[in-house]
Amino acid sequence: MRYFIAGFSVLAVTLFLKTIGDHINAATVSLALLLNVLFIATRWGSLPALLTSMVAMLCFNFFFLPPFGTFTIAATDNWIALIAFLITAVTAGQLSARARQRAEEAEIGKREIERLYSELRDAFERASHAEALRQSEKLKSALLDAVTHDLRTPLTSIKASITTLLDEAHGPTGDAPPVVLDPESRVEMMEVINEESDRLTRFVGGLIELAKIEAGELQLRRRWSAADEIVSEALLRAAPITRQHRIELNIERELPVLRVDERAVSEVVYTLIDNAAKYSPHGSIIQISAQRAGTDLIEMAVEDEGQGIPVDLRQRVFEKFFRAIRDGDVSTKLPSGTGMGLAIAKGIVEAHKGKIWIDSARKSTGTRVVFTLPIGDEEVLDGSIHSAVTVERND
Amino acid sequence: MTEQPRILIVDDEPQLTRVLRTGLKSRGYEVRAAADGGAGFNSFMDWQPDLVITDLAMPNVDGLELCRRLRAVSQVPIIVLSAKGEEKTKVEALDLGADDFVTKPFGMDELLARIRAALRRASATPSNDDTQAIFSSGDFQVNLDSHHILLRGKQIHLTPKEFDLLTYFIKHPGKVLTHRTLLAAVWGGNYVDQTEYLRVFVGNLRKKIEPDAAAPRYILTEPWIGYRFDPGE
Repeated sequence: MRYFIAGFSVLAVTLFLKTIGDHINAATVSLALLLNVLFIATRWGSLPALLTSMVAMLCFNFFFLPPFGTFTIAATDNWIALIAFLITAVTAGQLSARARQRAEEAEIGKREIERLYSELRDAFERASHAEALRQSEKLKSALLDAVTHDLRTPLTSIKASITTLLDEAHGPTGDAPPVVLDPESRVEMMEVINEESDRLTRFVGGLIELAKIEAGELQLRRRWSAADEIVSEALLRAAPITRQHRIELNIERELPVLRVDERAVSEVVYTLIDNAAKYSPHGSIIQISAQRAGTDLIEMAVEDEGQGIPVDLRQRVFEKFFRAIRDGDVSTKLPSGTGMGLAIAKGIVEAHKGKIWIDSARKSTGTRVVFTLPIGDEEVLDGSIHSAVTVERND
Repeated sequence: MTEQPRILIVDDEPQLTRVLRTGLKSRGYEVRAAADGGAGFNSFMDWQPDLVITDLAMPNVDGLELCRRLRAVSQVPIIVLSAKGEEKTKVEALDLGADDFVTKPFGMDELLARIRAALRRASATPSNDDTQAIFSSGDFQVNLDSHHILLRGKQIHLTPKEFDLLTYFIKHPGKVLTHRTLLAAVWGGNYVDQTEYLRVFVGNLRKKIEPDAAAPRYILTEPWIGYRFDPGE
């Protein structure tokens, strides 16, 4: 079909040229026919172009080179013109056909590359999604292990105590020797049950607090509070656990009041004091300080004389359920906590748009946990809030 | 064994050691406690207890390392306290020679039953005596020379491998035997991962010795871990 159209196109061009006039210039005719060859070559490739060249050569000879209407040629220069036309037509036709083929190949190549690229991108997306999922599953199961350990340990003590008390109450059974508990042991068992229930309660409370922080649902009840009051409240709560330590207070005079959730910030200070007391020797000093840091920040710190936290663990201790003592291979016989205290403290401080970090203690090898709090974030400049301060402080 | 059996507790959880100490003392055991594997091993060497109860996850020297060190010097019965999620470590401890395990949280009666069984085994089994040609345990009587096993006086027909496996079970009554331990003992070290062999042979043994193979009373399955053999009366 394309060969037929190719041949026919030459006849159409010839007819058109003939109708324009018999005395049309031979050069114009050859250029018009050449154009026709090029058109066919770019459209259908080399073989139809070759056919077009041959038909064009015959038409050129028959209709436009004298004597007209025959395939004979009178003048030598017309022979040369005809041969030149044939060579030009075939060469140009083949070249443009080849160019067309190259363009087509390039187009196919480009499409193939695009297809591969998009396939690769999809595969990569799928892989990174799967990897993210795997990581998150891994993290979840590590967290679950940590949580179940902290729930199971007190439960084990409670269960063992209760079953001992029950065995005594029920009397001997089977081949088991009778249980003989003296009054002190009985009280001890009950004490363990009481203390471990409290531990479970604290742990569950911590979990809830953490969940709230992570969900961004920590409700801060901000009011204007004084740093020394916050510290006093924390110290009062920590009194039973700090009896064996000496507390040094170093609170700068005339600190501005802070617009914070007093209970939450006091919880942070309490956690830091609790850690300090737990991980530093009896009789050592725990120093609590509060001072201005720049124009709109207050910096508070709790420093102990314990064995300190290695630099590479100082970030990680704020991760939830991370315990330097159990997980960080800090060799010690000190008790390990729940791994939630510092994570909660961080959550509270950050909810106030503050920062918390760990420094080396200034005087000893111990730990110094520092946190900053903005005095009252952007609202501090608002006049109406200022007047509210005055009212509250005057209460 | 002394009048009052001595038990060493190794656990880093002070409240639990407190309870176990009081609970075991009230049943007439003499008890000492250590907070990690290192202290536990030293205490064992000093005091030579009749049984060791150890936690697995502990700072410094953990329960696994303690099992390893203890087995290098002694055949003292070891009971491992483990938690769900610690299955791999638990199996490792049993492979290292621990005798039994109790999963937290546990009742005191369960722990005591395991302690009694372990102490009974320790006093009954002449340690590593493979020379005796005829011996019995519970309902079973084994004759190594004639390759016969009698169950309540009736001979059981066994293939050579079944005989080896059952003999190994009878020699270790009440002890938790991991898949690896059984495979290594009966088939050899190259077969320790071929648990399906074990499953097939245990299935066959059960058909031959259990009154009801679907509810076994002699060869008990410890899910994911191995088997425990109860020789009966």
